[in-house]
Amino acid sequence: MRAYTPKDDVQKKSYYTDRFWVAPQVAKSEVSDDAVFAADLAAIKAKFDVLDAYIQVEQMVVVINANDNYSVLEFLKNECEYTQLSEMSAIDWLATEGKFEIFYQMLSMAKRKRVRIKCKIDEKEAIQSVEKLFRSADWSEREMYDMFGVVVNNHPFMKRILMPEDWEGFPLRKTYPLQGDEFAAWYEVDKIFGKEAREIIGPENRDPARIDRYDTQRFSRLGHEVPFGTDISQGEPDTPLVYQEKEGVFMVEKFDAEKSVVISDRQR
Amino acid sequence: MAQHQVNYLKDGGLPVALTTIDKVVNWGRSNSIWALTYGLACCGIEMMASGASRYDFDRFGTIFRASPRQAELMVVAGTLTKKHAEFIRRLYDQMTEPKWVISMGSCANTGGMFNTYATVQGVDRVIPVDLYLPGCAPRPETLQYAVMMLQQKIRKESASRAQKPKRLM
Amino acid sequence: MQQSNRLRPFFENITFDREDNELVLNFGPQHPSAHGQLRLMLHLQQEQITKAHPDIGYLHRGMEKMAENMIYNEFMPTTDRMDYIASSSNNYGFALAVEKLIGLDVPRRAKVIRMLLLEVNRLMSHLFWLATTALDIGAMTVFLYAFREREYLMDLVEDYCGARLTHAAIRIGGVPLDLPDNFMADLRKFLDKLPENIKDYEDLLDKNRVWLMRMENVGVISKEMALSWGCSGIMLRASGVEWDIRKEEPYELYDEVEFNVPVSDKGDNYARYKLYMAEMRESAKILYQVIDMYEGTSTELMAHAPQYISAPKLDIMTQNYALMQHFVLVTQGMRPPVGEVYIPTESPKGELGYYINSQGGPYPYRLKLRAPSFWHTGILTDLLPGHYIPDVVSIIGTTNIVFGEVDR
Repeated sequence: MRAYTPKDDVQKKSYYTDRFWVAPQVAKSEVSDDAVFAADLAAIKAKFDVLDAYIQVEQMVVVINANDNYSVLEFLKNECEYTQLSEMSAIDWLATEGKFEIFYQMLSMAKRKRVRIKCKIDEKEAIQSVEKLFRSADWSEREMYDMFGVVVNNHPFMKRILMPEDWEGFPLRKTYPLQGDEFAAWYEVDKIFGKEAREIIGPENRDPARIDRYDTQRFSRLGHEVPFGTDISQGEPDTPLVYQEKEGVFMVEKFDAEKSVVISDRQR
Repeated sequence: MAQHQVNYLKDGGLPVALTTIDKVVNWGRSNSIWALTYGLACCGIEMMASGASRYDFDRFGTIFRASPRQAELMVVAGTLTKKHAEFIRRLYDQMTEPKWVISMGSCANTGGMFNTYATVQGVDRVIPVDLYLPGCAPRPETLQYAVMMLQQKIRKESASRAQKPKRLM
Repeated sequence: MQQSNRLRPFFENITFDREDNELVLNFGPQHPSAHGQLRLMLHLQQEQITKAHPDIGYLHRGMEKMAENMIYNEFMPTTDRMDYIASSSNNYGFALAVEKLIGLDVPRRAKVIRMLLLEVNRLMSHLFWLATTALDIGAMTVFLYAFREREYLMDLVEDYCGARLTHAAIRIGGVPLDLPDNFMADLRKFLDKLPENIKDYEDLLDKNRVWLMRMENVGVISKEMALSWGCSGIMLRASGVEWDIRKEEPYELYDEVEFNVPVSDKGDNYARYKLYMAEMRESAKILYQVIDMYEGTSTELMAHAPQYISAPKLDIMTQNYALMQHFVLVTQGMRPPVGEVYIPTESPKGELGYYINSQGGPYPYRLKLRAPSFWHTGILTDLLPGHYIPDVVSIIGTTNIVFGEVDR
């Protein structure tokens, strides 16, 4: 019987984990340890619900409700001097919680501080666009939609950005395999030659470790070149490393190693 | 009227070389390979380096052209993605006959380290390839060696007969 | 022999014949001055651009997905292929992020070597930028000169790690090798000549009429626009914001070296060009100081953390426990603690950040690459309208975008 593999997370798994292994945690500290962060958090708490807040690796993480995202970011930008949205994207937790986690990485140049705002939404839920506040979110949100299928409301141009327009599936979801589904495997063949050409061109070779030393069609042989498709199973012809034919080439002078100047110092 | 009679049998011979059409045509073709710039990724940088000062591609007669209609060699340098695949075929179709393709680097040969959903696993799924050049990224010397191998290949071809249809549809 | 295929002219629902005298121009994805695979849809009124629509993703290789299926050390060579013009800076960003995640401290000699590699990479990247931008605008000589110098730097890196372009010269927890014997002498020889070389480029370009026409007051990015678009690096500093992560949030030994952060408030192409030249001089200044730091450091190259980092090769070959540890780390991979981290570094292009979410397994749960060029490409949407067609190439040139990084 084949072993059961869960379909909700098809990413690579560790093949062995000790039964008593307990993963350590990256240290979290209280926000009150840092005066600047404490003041910012107090300001946010006065106006919005804060579900969780802590400092991890010198950056404050604030977890908020998903429908507050626009107003919290607006508040941070206008009141707390977090003038740049340096990064935003999503994390797929569909397999465990059925939710997407969305994080906004903010930077305050005046205070030299970085804050990460996080919120969670359901799979079918949409999130409010922050493109009006930060133009950089325009492309980030499109990328998030492209990779995860998270729909963003009030976005001016909600289309795929990295994958082609007619692509199927959202590549960074945990349910999407690394090497793609069938649609991905035949995408370029279908598009250029049509579906009927699939048999002629053949399936992709997805095994990177495959080496066949007698296959002269798929393997280049540096220093032992033979014409394409030659059968070398009976032993290959001896091909010394030559740049020109032995008898010389019509109207082309042969290179003479003895007459040439060899530069040994590269920075001469 | 001709005052100076040249004695061709004594003074260095007749200014005529006897050869076959094949050799003349192949000499011309193999020593003026104009390549289409097809820098897709990292290998494209090495392709530029081989055209630049130290490696000096011009001495092989290889000059990079930006238009497919002026080029006869396509050096596919870098990862070909599925989104880009149709454009490479389009540009290949626009090149005039005779045309050759060098697939430069592991990504172009087999997909290389990018064994993912988004990369074409070898450009030979889309266009016919004459020379595969291994390496990630291949050094400029390697590309120049590949061009020399291609020159040998061109010299073996017959110029008068029609080109054999290459692999792939 | 031409065989037919399915491809027909394909214009994505764009009508090229229009009644309002507007022309739609498709630029790319394979254009010699698109710096890779940028595709631009330009709407033109005569020669003036009214609307620009950059289309990216032609080099999307799924690196973030690859990271989720790889152990941490395995991912290191993949980062090389992001910003392939200065690959060590990508290696470094990733190594630093993982080190912060597991809380490692790196030996001093490794730090010095990393600094050397980072600054050599910055010089390589800036020289490459100068070469390609000058070539795009038509100055072929500068291209040849700048590549000549760049080759010397590549020789240096090759002496160190054996690769020209994709170095993978930095490991999580340190560096794999010590410097070769002649490295410092060669580097010093190069640096001594560099000011002359930079002067050569400036003599050729600074007062050049064509260069000035394509550079001065073209592609002006205001301060607000740069901040709003998440610009970083020279794109930000040319618009009058003094922000260099090496200065403001120092990593490695950047707080021990003297250097200036050149800033301009013009925001145009010419300001960016001047900043690139100034940064090259600053990099040389840093390198001189780092060369002096190397002397007298202890010979340790990798951090000592048997749970995460393999022992030195000598120990692996001679001691049983080190060999077992190494075997486990290579086959199963290190397991960093549960947590998340975002670490920005100043790559030659701007703020290169790595967001890693670890769930205690040997594979990252999520790895987001914050590549500066992504937003530097996005800004073209707002920047190009109003400019003329010949300016497009020079604007793309000075934004210094690399498509391995934009599309990842």
